[in-house]
Amino acid sequence: MFTDFKSSGTMFALALMVVAFIIVQSFFFLKKAYTRGKELGITTEKLKNTITSSALFSVAPALGIAVTVLALATTLGYVLPWIRLTVIGSISYETVAAEAALKAADVTSIDNELVFSAVAWVMTLGSLLPIILVPLLAKKIQKTVSGAVSKNNKWVDVISAAAFIGIIAAFLSSGITGVGSSKEEIVADGSGVLSVTAIVTSIIFMLTFSLINKKYKKNWIDALALPVSMVLAILVVVAICLFAPEIAQIEWRY
Amino acid sequence: MKKKNYTDSVHFNGRLWCVIALLVFITIPIVISLMHGWPEISTILSGLLTVIIFPITGVIEVVTYSPLLGPGATYLSFITGNIANLKLPCALNAVENAGVNSNSEEGDVIKTIAIASSSIVTTIIIAVCVLAFAFNPAFSKMMTSEELKPAFEQVSLTVFGALAASYFVKHWKISIFPIAACSLILAFVPGLDFGVLIFAGVILSILGAHTMYKLKLV
Repeated sequence: MFTDFKSSGTMFALALMVVAFIIVQSFFFLKKAYTRGKELGITTEKLKNTITSSALFSVAPALGIAVTVLALATTLGYVLPWIRLTVIGSISYETVAAEAALKAADVTSIDNELVFSAVAWVMTLGSLLPIILVPLLAKKIQKTVSGAVSKNNKWVDVISAAAFIGIIAAFLSSGITGVGSSKEEIVADGSGVLSVTAIVTSIIFMLTFSLINKKYKKNWIDALALPVSMVLAILVVVAICLFAPEIAQIEWRY
Repeated sequence: MKKKNYTDSVHFNGRLWCVIALLVFITIPIVISLMHGWPEISTILSGLLTVIIFPITGVIEVVTYSPLLGPGATYLSFITGNIANLKLPCALNAVENAGVNSNSEEGDVIKTIAIASSSIVTTIIIAVCVLAFAFNPAFSKMMTSEELKPAFEQVSLTVFGALAASYFVKHWKISIFPIAACSLILAFVPGLDFGVLIFAGVILSILGAHTMYKLKLV
């Protein structure tokens, strides 16, 4: 394994350094926010529910991200995509950036080490801008917004809900009418039976949980509702793939 | 007074962590180049030119997501990435469950705790999976099998389907327009970059909601 320069011991050491950095940083902010939460009088139960619910929520998406490492691994080895998808990266960016660097070096696959270095530079430099902008702009943007909050609370509530609904709308419409940039030969990456099933079943499961909780009124049901609805919806998709593969392949936008 | 202290100290620490993050991230290509040689600057520049759209969407992301995320969560999210499909939904779901106002300090605290927990779990799962892929080919074969791979493609849709259920029930009046608008946009411009679609969705949704608010419909 370590004989390939793309997956050398040093590469693994770099990846572990990044993993350690992210975990230490997350614990730092977690502890700071937890302490402040207690000072503000938020109950321990609520704080702990937030941790459990968010951890469970992240399992399925994290597995999805891990699988995308495999898509990049054939060209880049395992370690560079792993590092890139642990920080800032998103699959759409990393794939395009790697392809752009290969094209710039005028090769189609990484057979020499210099091209690998070039790919690493392009993938890194192309994604750094938000980390430079956030320290410069975040405070200013958030101060402007909180200024507006103190002026008109109801309007801000409506607008922040609307902003997030806009994001939800973009994702849902991509599952309904599809994003046409995908390649035809890949099953289930466009919009079709599977994408609509995923949307509809997750909505049904979530509504069911909220109806159940109207009766029992337990905080832990709220905390579990979303992660469990997601997993159940994914299981329905897997079941369709297993038992009705010809239906699973129906897509109206590749 | 205390509120100012907490928020200011979050901004101070967040900026510090961003600087450390920049150093850590830039170390990676530097170490790779030290081991394997320095590539031509022209190759890097020409590669970067092709991906110029991404830094632009990066600017849009900072403007769109940082007001929704609040201080602590913003710094963490932009360093760890996967904001739209994982961190932001996770944070807003936590705020809903905790029953706090998203735009208050309590909301900031809950969102920061949610995103920190999510980052830890995500980082560990990706690490464990990649090590398993690298050392056990059977595992990568299973994860990319015909039954599981299509399901992983749908994970984001299940996140947003479930969130839509709780958001649309509460705010159905302002939800119809953005969904219809985004679907129409995609029907006519199928190859649209997804980052641009998200931005368009947010802007249209805000404009729609603002109009309805002014007309006293919400």
